[in-house]
Amino acid sequence: MCRVFVLLAFAAFPLAAAAQSIPSGPVSAFDGRLVVGAEVVANIGDVDETAYFNYTDYEHNTLRLVRLALAANWRPTERLAFVGEVRTEDFGQPRAYAAYLRVRPWLRHALDIQVGQIPPSFGAYGRRGYQSTDNAFIGYPLAYQYLTALRPDAVPATALDLLTMRARGWRTTYPVGSAEAAPGVPLISAFRWDTGVQAHWEGGAVDVTGGVTVGTLSDPRVEDHNDGKQLSGRLGLRPFTGLVAGVSASRGEFIADNVNTLVPNSPGSHAQTAFGADAEYSRDHWLVRGELVWSRWNIPFAATQTTQDLDALGAWVEGRYRVTPRIVLAGRADRLTFSRFDAIAGLRPTWDAPVERFEVDAGYYLQRNLVLRFAVQYNDRNGGRVRSRTYFSGQIAYWF
Amino acid sequence: MRLRLLLPVLVLLAAFHAATETLVSTAAPNVAIRGRVELRQAPGDLTRRPNVSDVAMPRGHDPTDRRRSVVYLETAPRAAFEQREDVRVKLDQRNEAFVPHVLAIVAGTTVDFPNNDKTYHNVFSLSPTKPFDLGRYAAGHSKSIRFDRPGIVRVFCDIHSHMSAFILVFAHRHFTVTDEEGRYRLDNVPPGTYTVVAWNESAATESRRVVVGESGDVEANFLLGRR
Repeated sequence: MCRVFVLLAFAAFPLAAAAQSIPSGPVSAFDGRLVVGAEVVANIGDVDETAYFNYTDYEHNTLRLVRLALAANWRPTERLAFVGEVRTEDFGQPRAYAAYLRVRPWLRHALDIQVGQIPPSFGAYGRRGYQSTDNAFIGYPLAYQYLTALRPDAVPATALDLLTMRARGWRTTYPVGSAEAAPGVPLISAFRWDTGVQAHWEGGAVDVTGGVTVGTLSDPRVEDHNDGKQLSGRLGLRPFTGLVAGVSASRGEFIADNVNTLVPNSPGSHAQTAFGADAEYSRDHWLVRGELVWSRWNIPFAATQTTQDLDALGAWVEGRYRVTPRIVLAGRADRLTFSRFDAIAGLRPTWDAPVERFEVDAGYYLQRNLVLRFAVQYNDRNGGRVRSRTYFSGQIAYWF
Repeated sequence: MRLRLLLPVLVLLAAFHAATETLVSTAAPNVAIRGRVELRQAPGDLTRRPNVSDVAMPRGHDPTDRRRSVVYLETAPRAAFEQREDVRVKLDQRNEAFVPHVLAIVAGTTVDFPNNDKTYHNVFSLSPTKPFDLGRYAAGHSKSIRFDRPGIVRVFCDIHSHMSAFILVFAHRHFTVTDEEGRYRLDNVPPGTYTVVAWNESAATESRRVVVGESGDVEANFLLGRR
């Protein structure tokens, strides 16, 4: 018998490391037809009760927020799927954030119809920012989060009323309509989805999405509060691998019926009209994105029975770079501007205060689906009690 | 003082002699350890995370064969550690799946990761054995990584959450991946007593102690998973 020199195959074969220590994939049942995933996000940041740069229309601070989400996709047949997500923010009442039925009438054609509380057809960030898996930032783009002075359920009596609310979108009051003080609306809400019907078609390098919903980009709704419907759509192009670009348009009735009845003679349809353009390019360890959103609201002024078009333009560009397999650096430059309006004789100020935001984030992946992020965000506003402020925040995000 | 200097040289010479002898002696018999690895519960296919933001039915992807196991010798003859050839193998990306899903290689092997899909992929691993990130690259392109340290490397795609693969890097050459029916065969095992280990991603590993003689194959079967 020959001599055998025996050595260990591995000095330290990390068998236990084969599987990650916490679940890394979704839970599935019924032969994969039901898939359930979850997301836990905890943001820790400064208390902000003076500047309100990062408040949402649900009165949460995006830099200081705990969010739990449970998502499910049940696909009983190849043609049919039920999709839903339930969320709670800061341990509040759980709410359905997405709940829709998806139908693919012809399996050979990439045409899908969705009915219910559906993803936004307009723009790119609204769908991406909903989950933290493809979002390297803690903060949100201004157009999707920053609260303007406008409300669908209350309007100014005079131009001076609007001017008074300039840079006070976090808590606005107007003499006509709801008497309660409440947050204004962003250009597009990233925190709620609209309800309606949507169709999506994809062919080669082109995809088209269109929808009819009860709310608007600023004010997505489950139940309609006026008779108008919103039409929105996006045309997407993928000219070559790595580049995705799109143009979007939307128009829908913004003002609620409780206000419309109080301003019966004001001309115009009081709609929100928006156009957008978005682009993304990625290669190697780089990813660059940019988006432009222009929005116009036609707002009635009750005392004069007139209307004015109030415009806003949000634009940002962001980039991220994976420095090592675990470390990602990201930066975003963001600007939100507003049109001028006839306030008082000889004075044409912007109807809300322009804002600039710069954010730098660093992410460290503890494992594929568990990440720590740190952010520094600087905001500058041309109006309001607090004109500029720097925030430091941290985040831990986990999903499966 | 001179003796203290000579001692390590003598030890090295003795080790070299022993290793040479082993190489000669292990070349003679062709005895195999063979058998079958069965799983109590067949692992399901890897599924995509439910993404409520999708505006269309998710694209289909190739199923992942998670039944494949790896069988290896926990301890091996010294000669098995000394064969360091430059080997290249391929871990393909096709129809949103890594093919093969389980790859077993010897340390020093270079793995090519060609993208033969229609879409971008971003292959990466956070495993301590070999953390890497190949970045995003399009169809028709390939990037490669050399694996020098033994251990388990779990590979993912940064874009497609349902894509994953395992690369098991061994310090010696006595390992194999089971076929579609769970059968395996470890060839050219020199006589001796060994611990044979069966590994599957979905179950705890199991080991068997086997004695290999001068001739005649040895059978070792495994049943992995919770009872």
